[in-house]
Amino acid sequence: MIKPSNIEIDREKGNFHYPTSKYAFDAGVGLSEDVVKYISGVKNEKDWILDFRLKAHSIFEKKPMPTHWASKDLENIDFDVIRYYLAQGQQPSRTWDEVPDDIKNTFERLGIPEQERKFLAGVEAQFDSEAAYSRMKEDLEKEGVIFVGSTEGLRDYPEIFKKWFGKVIPSSDNKFSALNSAVFSGGSFIYVPPGVKLAQPLQAYFRINAENFGQFERTLIIADEGSEITYMEGCTAPKFETSTLHSAVVELVALKGAKIQYITVQNWSNNVFNLVTKRAMAEEEAEVRWIDCNIGSRLTMKYPGVILRGRKARGEVLSIALANDGQHQDTGAKMVHAASETTSNVIAKSVSIGEGRSSYRGLVQIPGHLEHCKNNTECDALLINSDSQTDTYPAIAIQGSENSVQHEASVSKVSAEQIFYMQQRGLNQAEAMSLYVNGFVNDLIREFPMEYSVELKRLIDLEMEGSVG
Amino acid sequence: MKTSFESSDFFQAFSEKRSWEPGWMADFRKDSWNRFATLPKTKIKDEKWRFSPRTRFGYNDCDQLTDSPKPTTLEGKSSKNVIFESFDQAILDHPKLLSILPSCTGPKLGSDETFLLGSSFSESGFILKAKEEHKEEEAFICRHFAPNQNRSLFQQSIVSIDPFAEVTLIEYFDSEDQSSTGILSNLSHIQVGEGAKLNRIVVQRLNNHSTFNHLEKIELGRNAQFTNISLQLGSAQTRVESRGDIIGDAGEFNNYSLSLGRNNQLFDQRTIQHHIAPHGKSNLLFKNALLENSKAIFSGLIKVDPKAQNTDSFQTNRNLLLSKEAEASSLPGLEILANEVKCSHGATTSKIDEQELFYLQSRGIPKSTAEKLIVLGFFEDIIGQTPNPDLVESLRDEVSKFFHT
Repeated sequence: MIKPSNIEIDREKGNFHYPTSKYAFDAGVGLSEDVVKYISGVKNEKDWILDFRLKAHSIFEKKPMPTHWASKDLENIDFDVIRYYLAQGQQPSRTWDEVPDDIKNTFERLGIPEQERKFLAGVEAQFDSEAAYSRMKEDLEKEGVIFVGSTEGLRDYPEIFKKWFGKVIPSSDNKFSALNSAVFSGGSFIYVPPGVKLAQPLQAYFRINAENFGQFERTLIIADEGSEITYMEGCTAPKFETSTLHSAVVELVALKGAKIQYITVQNWSNNVFNLVTKRAMAEEEAEVRWIDCNIGSRLTMKYPGVILRGRKARGEVLSIALANDGQHQDTGAKMVHAASETTSNVIAKSVSIGEGRSSYRGLVQIPGHLEHCKNNTECDALLINSDSQTDTYPAIAIQGSENSVQHEASVSKVSAEQIFYMQQRGLNQAEAMSLYVNGFVNDLIREFPMEYSVELKRLIDLEMEGSVG
Repeated sequence: MKTSFESSDFFQAFSEKRSWEPGWMADFRKDSWNRFATLPKTKIKDEKWRFSPRTRFGYNDCDQLTDSPKPTTLEGKSSKNVIFESFDQAILDHPKLLSILPSCTGPKLGSDETFLLGSSFSESGFILKAKEEHKEEEAFICRHFAPNQNRSLFQQSIVSIDPFAEVTLIEYFDSEDQSSTGILSNLSHIQVGEGAKLNRIVVQRLNNHSTFNHLEKIELGRNAQFTNISLQLGSAQTRVESRGDIIGDAGEFNNYSLSLGRNNQLFDQRTIQHHIAPHGKSNLLFKNALLENSKAIFSGLIKVDPKAQNTDSFQTNRNLLLSKEAEASSLPGLEILANEVKCSHGATTSKIDEQELFYLQSRGIPKSTAEKLIVLGFFEDIIGQTPNPDLVESLRDEVSKFFHT
């Protein structure tokens, strides 16, 4: 689906798909106004949503690619060969036996629970798992939490979601947010009522009977005053995703005193362009935290941002990127301070292995009329092999004498001495290397919920295999 | 709006005035001018001009060439081992030294227009060439003067230090009066040979109506050492583009700069430390103290090629904001393609420490003087890099003169 390019990718890895004939709705290949209308029609959407989509489509046509600063690899995306909408009307039916062995093996090694494993592999939702998760759903409903898909969200709760939909990230923000706004499907719409503090993190795959793995998913989370929510987006389907372009839009709204924590573990296969726009709005005393981990994909461009709109709002981005052969992890963070006494913190760690390339791109903005704003940014990069590459491109614009920022970045390589020490204690070189890398990202991994951090450690072990020696 | 520089008649007239030059020089000017005339239109979004109010650097208001008789004066004489001559004189005496001009590329950090105009229209500047193993104690001094009302001055300088020679060069950029609006565009091509050492000090004190374009490219050979200390004190707007290429093994490049911004002054600084050969060292420190409505932009890049293993490279930008309106933008960048390296960059922006200010005030020092002292202290680690202790004191005075107390 991608034009030939100099990066050679094992396409067989992702060559695992549902036969398209099983789909009840198929918008065909390519993008046009008719495709947008078709998608909207299938979803039975109200006129204002269709208008929103059409407008976004025309913006998409007009907007240039961001290649004046971004990777030239973007030019390899051929928008005309992509399927923009496929839906099966019901869950895909496939049995566990049909899942290829290597995927089963990967799940096995990652230690993903069986229920989720089957789900991730696209196997028809098991009755048991529905039961297991539906109790949780009930609890949520009792609290007044709304947790639905994008279609249901806009159809059933327009009074809640319409107000913020497309407001944090307007369609015209960039070419890919416009694309998403035109053809979005799937994703999660969540509303947490005032004062409700969710003890358990919400996860995308709790919401079983809906389309979860859209290429163009749209997520909107609204945390009302004083509420707290942790959301986990696990793209933990290793080497499975068939599509070549994944372009999501995620909007978070934290109203006064609310706390949102958004966790992503991205592990798309190596043929996916992962171009995601994520931004949060933090009102007075609200706190938004993006925890972002990028391990898969061919090219990821993702810069989660926080607009600190209210006094004493706080934004944080913790980011881990692992770039292996043929991968470019172009990640970063944006902190826009728009009120006094706001603080932000960015900690980014990247590891480049083999010919992998990881980049950090950041933006920090503090205008002069504000007082007592603070930003701290730290970027650390680790280079494993001599062909590995790393870049850092932060942009910091500060005005006014009452604000302070600090930015620091360092690049280092694996210390031969430490590897030697570990080898001397009986670890082989690969194990030592793996331990070293895990140690490098450890203080960030600790921030992840338990099961994710275990999984991440194993993922890093997997990635590190064969990278030395 | 078109400037007269773009008209072929204007260039023709200029060429006739310089008809005494050798043919290759005329060809070089013609070629540069053709490239200038066919430059693609400037794009609105250009990373190399990010955060910069680009229109402030346009040539529209100053599209005549200067007619001042002596825009550059030199202090220090040529000797058996040193050639130190003005641009025009060198064309006659040492055309061979200038023949490298067509292969000079400049820093290539955004000011293509200025670079090509400079290559086409340069009429002044100097040549400094030190022969092998020559060590000169006395500094070579060059004074450049900004053009008069609504005119531009383009100049080029070539500094070439042969292996194992050691030289100090001081360049002053001044205005002849306090009211003329003019543009001074300076291109420096600097080559430091194997084991050679060059210290260069730049003091810019243009009046606050002038524009200063300062483009430099430095090439360092094996074990070469170059230290650049730049004091940016004057001008309405200054664009500095500085590229240091470490071409030979274990070259060492130190680039230090301070800017003191007042009124509406703008300092737009773009730098690159490019490590091409292994074992190189580079260290960059740019400090800006910004008062009133002044603004500074720092965009720096450390680039380490795959072959440049064992590189140590650092880049630091510190901004001190002394007013609500002052603004500092930093774009510190790293592009690392080798793994056996130590590289880091840091950028900080903040205000004067309240406690320091309070301490000084409690000793009876008025606030404005206290601020001045703190800023001078802030600049001390740049000025302190100066190799000659006598110079240090005079540079301190330079900075302190620019402070209104």
